[in-house]
Amino acid sequence: MSGGVALQALVVGLSVGAVYGLVGLGFSLLWSLTRVLAFAHGDIVIGSVLISVLAVIGTTPVALSPNVVHSLALVVLALLFGVALSVASYAVAVRPFLGRTHRAEDLMGWVAGGVTAGLVIRTALGVALPAAAYAVPDPLHFDQITVTGVLSLPGGGTVGVRVFPVLLIAIAVAIATDRFLVLSRAGRAIRSVADDPDAATLCGVAIERTLLLAFAIAGVLAAVAGLLYAPAGAVGVDQGVLLGLYGAAAALLGRLGSPRDAVVGGVALGVVQQLTQASPHLGAAWASLLPLAVLVVVLAVRPGGLLAPREAFAE
Amino acid sequence: MTTLATDLYLLVAAYGLAIAVSYAGLPVLGQGAFVAVGAFGTSQLAAHGFPLGIAVITSIAMSGLAGYLVGFAAARLAGAQLALATWALAWLAYTALVVFPRLSGGAQGLTRATPAHLVSPSLGLDMTLQPWVHVLVAAAVDVGLAVVLWRSAATAWGLDLAALRSGAALADSLGVPVQRRRRAVLAVAAALGAAGGAGTAVLLGVVAPADYSPLLSLQLFVAVLVGGTATWWGPAIGVALLAALPWTSDRLAGAIDVDPLRARAVLTAVLLVAAIATRRPVARLIRRLGLTTVTTEVVTDEHGALHIPTSPGALLLQLRGVESSYGAVRILDGVDLELRAGEVHALIGPNGSGKSTALRVAAGVVPADAGQVLIQSTAAPTRVAAADRVRAGVVRTLQRTVSLGDLAVATQVAVGARARERAPQLGLRELLRTPSATRVAAARASAVGDAVQLVGLSNRTTAAMTSLDSAEQRLLQLARAVATGAPALLVDEPAAGMSADQRRRLGDVLRTLAESGRGVLLVEHDLRLVGRVADRVTVLAEGRVLASGTPEDVRCDERVRRAYLGDSSL
Repeated sequence: MSGGVALQALVVGLSVGAVYGLVGLGFSLLWSLTRVLAFAHGDIVIGSVLISVLAVIGTTPVALSPNVVHSLALVVLALLFGVALSVASYAVAVRPFLGRTHRAEDLMGWVAGGVTAGLVIRTALGVALPAAAYAVPDPLHFDQITVTGVLSLPGGGTVGVRVFPVLLIAIAVAIATDRFLVLSRAGRAIRSVADDPDAATLCGVAIERTLLLAFAIAGVLAAVAGLLYAPAGAVGVDQGVLLGLYGAAAALLGRLGSPRDAVVGGVALGVVQQLTQASPHLGAAWASLLPLAVLVVVLAVRPGGLLAPREAFAE
Repeated sequence: MTTLATDLYLLVAAYGLAIAVSYAGLPVLGQGAFVAVGAFGTSQLAAHGFPLGIAVITSIAMSGLAGYLVGFAAARLAGAQLALATWALAWLAYTALVVFPRLSGGAQGLTRATPAHLVSPSLGLDMTLQPWVHVLVAAAVDVGLAVVLWRSAATAWGLDLAALRSGAALADSLGVPVQRRRRAVLAVAAALGAAGGAGTAVLLGVVAPADYSPLLSLQLFVAVLVGGTATWWGPAIGVALLAALPWTSDRLAGAIDVDPLRARAVLTAVLLVAAIATRRPVARLIRRLGLTTVTTEVVTDEHGALHIPTSPGALLLQLRGVESSYGAVRILDGVDLELRAGEVHALIGPNGSGKSTALRVAAGVVPADAGQVLIQSTAAPTRVAAADRVRAGVVRTLQRTVSLGDLAVATQVAVGARARERAPQLGLRELLRTPSATRVAAARASAVGDAVQLVGLSNRTTAAMTSLDSAEQRLLQLARAVATGAPALLVDEPAAGMSADQRRRLGDVLRTLAESGRGVLLVEHDLRLVGRVADRVTVLAEGRVLASGTPEDVRCDERVRRAYLGDSSL
């Protein structure tokens, strides 16, 4: 692999990985609050974007550059649908299976609930959007920053110019989420529930409302990730599951439940995946297997995340 | 005929998954991956010149091995992570099939001539596998599996699965080797999945990746959810519903003009929703109809199957200078403790003094940082599975009451009695009713009878867990522990939440247990109960032994008064 190709893979990997990180951030946040693994999270990422495309542009979305009104509508609706889907998945597929302290209790119930919620989103979208993949227009017009939409890198590689704003926005959203959790009153409530729901209740935190807020935040993160991810290439409704699993892998590369680890893990995963793809011996086939293999191996070795202490999962 | 055979093969895979999901309580979302191993493994091996029979058996063995390896990881995973890992595995297998056409034959898949011929010169075999042969073979396997699951409910297999289902902590405390059992369950589930896949591959002569997508895993999962927990007929109903899917989805696809595969996914989603929504009502209905009732034999005889051979006063358990820390906090700081046969030894002290930790170190759940644990004067290894401690003679009850599903009292006690049995392949031999297995089962029945008699639950053996009051549930916990045959009983706060009457009853039971030659190490806050039943009292404070002696000695000890009441004089 030449230096130019490697640099190109690195730059693309940072941007793709930051999006994985946002997905992993939502996944991680929901785990720390409820001890539920959000199986439908990836479907919410793709679902929020595709539903808003359906609403604004219709069933034949093409990569036309949408006008300002359409762009704004796309972004706002995607965020709204993200929140709506996430909160709905909480109400239908998570809440009924939580125990007295609002922690996961009925294992078989929420596992089935989660995969079902994902399947429902996928299949409903699949009926509305029957083709294998769609080109989603970029509501943020990142490709119009330069005239050609591409940028030459030293060493002969080129990248689409949109990878830079994608990376910046993803990192900015991740930092904003982290600051929100650390500094704001609502963020402190979320962290207190993650720490100990009983103690949080005694201190006057309204758990139900806090959980709803957390799921709404996860929905926003999902919609942002979807808006950044979808315009990069053709998107099919089934891609959501894979994206969700990539996010899970990102969250598990650090300590499951830690927002910062999820973002760092996502970036690392994205870079390694792009380098794998660029490598002449491995290529795209191995690159598509890599995150899944990472997820399976990490779960087998350290179920609480690669950096988690060993005892973290003593039953 | 071909469709029927396909569905019957699918049922084989569903039975495999049911053992993991509805019997052992392991949320496996990747059965489709194991089915694919069987299907593509068979086709690939056959295409590379292996005889058909060898190809089938090899691919089933490969899948079983894969399941066993997943089990190695699963032994350490909490249930949630197992669901995620197997779901990722389903997508990993499918992605591999899609991106490596050499493995899967591409979108068209691998094809071979049908009907297949089974030729074996050495066995003088030469037959054509017509669809009706497949129907017979698959139906025979299905019926066999159903009968095994039905008949083994009260055998060693059924009891072990019930223990796994109830959670690792309880199973572990009763001496069930949880990790080994989980590996075995997943290996069997995977092998049966592969068997179903291999059968279908031979039958249809074509295997294509699209038929082994993760949707198959979800369909099998819903098939085993439908029938509720641990029912031998559940998977059959589930697969019958799945078999109706293609027919219904083709009608639906024609009616609303969508891709038939999409329509199938829609219906799977509907089925899943229905299965989840009806899970609790169905479970109630099954309970009311008595469809899961497991009858466990209880024999009460005079000589006492659980007779403890130790002489009174013999040393059962000893802690010597035990230290243990949780993070940076030193919980136990050099604790010495003895438990002798025939005594109730109470461990008391203020909250946070290390009583429960001392119990956990003795039971082998928490390793000691320093010091020694001696069981019947033999040093126990510092890091050891709790199951081995139970066999060595130390058993504990958990602080909170955990039930084994809604199994009847006698069956729950029988799970504990399993710890005394050392016969290999007992489940299989019990099914075949071999003479030795019958003897073991008879011994189990009298152990159960003995245990329920010792704790005074003899008249409640057929009661369901849900009909016991909280005191009886505590006594059931004691009975399960007693049934393991371990002479040293570690009992953690048994009187929590009991009324005065119930405490008196509990106190009598604890005395009975001590007089039967056992040693009871009792952690308890109720000092009146302690004063009534304890032969010896040890007071812990801040991880050290403050005083030890008869209840009277300890009551008069000045340091104990200070630890409990502070320095102020009364």
